[in-house]
Amino acid sequence: MNTTDTPAPVSTRIHRPGLRSLAILVLCETKMVIRDSAGLIVPLGLPLLILLTSAGSTADQMITADRTALDLFVLPLVITMVLTMVGVLNMPSFLAYYRRTGILRRLAVTPASPVMVLSAQVIVSILQSALGIILALVVAMTAFGAKPPVDLIPAFGVLALTATAMCAMGMIVAASAPTPNSAVAFGLVAFLLLGATGGMFGGTQSLPEPIAEIGAHLPFGASVEALGAAWAGQPIGAAPLLSLAAAIVVGVAVAAWLFRWE
Amino acid sequence: MSRAPAVEVEHLAKRFGNTVAVDDVSLRIQQGETLGILGINGSGKSTTVEMIAGLRPPDSGHVRVLGLDPRRDRGAVRQVLGVQLQDAELHSALTVAELIGLYRSFYPDPRSAQELLDLVELEDKRDTRFERLSGGQQQRLSVALALAGKPRVVILDELTTGLDPASRRRMWRTLDRLRDDGVTIILVSHTMEEVERLCDHIVLLEAGRVLASATPAELVARAGTSTLDEAFVQLTGHDLEVAE
Repeated sequence: MNTTDTPAPVSTRIHRPGLRSLAILVLCETKMVIRDSAGLIVPLGLPLLILLTSAGSTADQMITADRTALDLFVLPLVITMVLTMVGVLNMPSFLAYYRRTGILRRLAVTPASPVMVLSAQVIVSILQSALGIILALVVAMTAFGAKPPVDLIPAFGVLALTATAMCAMGMIVAASAPTPNSAVAFGLVAFLLLGATGGMFGGTQSLPEPIAEIGAHLPFGASVEALGAAWAGQPIGAAPLLSLAAAIVVGVAVAAWLFRWE
Repeated sequence: MSRAPAVEVEHLAKRFGNTVAVDDVSLRIQQGETLGILGINGSGKSTTVEMIAGLRPPDSGHVRVLGLDPRRDRGAVRQVLGVQLQDAELHSALTVAELIGLYRSFYPDPRSAQELLDLVELEDKRDTRFERLSGGQQQRLSVALALAGKPRVVILDELTTGLDPASRRRMWRTLDRLRDDGVTIILVSHTMEEVERLCDHIVLLEAGRVLASATPAELVARAGTSTLDEAFVQLTGHDLEVAE
């Protein structure tokens, strides 16, 4: 029996859940997405629909020696749409639902850190995006003869940067939305705002000059521009890459400031 | 010499806007003791345990769990404190076994999955999704997850609210096993029978303040009644179970 007045000793070595725990959490989150498959319809289905409706008219329109309008304009747009939808719509609605139902609160009383919980969400979002992009590319290549980017490695770099930037934007939505419904509403507004200013509705040429200029510096416009350049084999300018990096920094900072377990 | 307290709460206070939720609450729980926190809705029970768990910062006062501050020493406290929260759900589409696997992964030396399933008698539901469990089964799973890290202190908020009598007794058996292992338990409850059966000490909260702090027998003697139920009515002017 302890007969001292000092508190019982507690191990000073603090165990933090490591990569194994993160891997299990990612697996669990993936199962959540697969078992609630309705959430996959929009990020997989809508880009495919846009691809199918615009591929026919653009697949024969040669822009460079061996790349068509489908390669240089439609595919970068469709890929950016997938990344944006998953990042700013799907991920925040999951997080908002977790917060509303107390799942985040329950995790908050375990040794799991917010960083781990958010990282798992980002990883699962990137996996979903990868699925959407692969689906769109396979359809574009097999049905419409689309070709891969001339500069493959830079294209992958832009993809990774865009995926992270969109998740960072999604973090702002997730952190600021009070309810699951508002997360969907905020996410939809963010998606349309980023998309509209980034050329989702018929390119940026039809936009007023100042809006097109702003849109080019937002992650959607920056991604479409950088991916288009990689597809054509042209050098990717510093401006879109800096815009994407800035979106990541701002998103992470705002989310860290606003994040709450409940 | 007295035993070192497992949980020490001094002059805890918390307001939400103009509402005083907790007002100068102090309590000490000895190691291995089971403390019952009683009170009608809005008496400050959940806010008090949420501050002990480190989920909410107190406006003033302090909390020590095994000598640690639950907010400042969050990482260390999370390893020795298990918490079952009122109204907190789990990942709805995951199965019992998957959730146990996930929560076990957070701790360095967790209880085995089998031990947890046996402890809350959910072995036959291991492959059932959380959303398809009954209320009682969900509650039991939630308790199993609170025990995954072999905690030395456990907070159980509204442990058996909404459970049928059989589930309630099953849960009490689980608590008996924990008590036998020397785990310190804080039990927020609405059920007099439960408190009388399980708790060594009771803290009665009323409008955020400690109305009484005593053993069940002392409380009955102090109120001059024959049962704890009557003592509660006598001391607070409310019937606990009717008030809910």
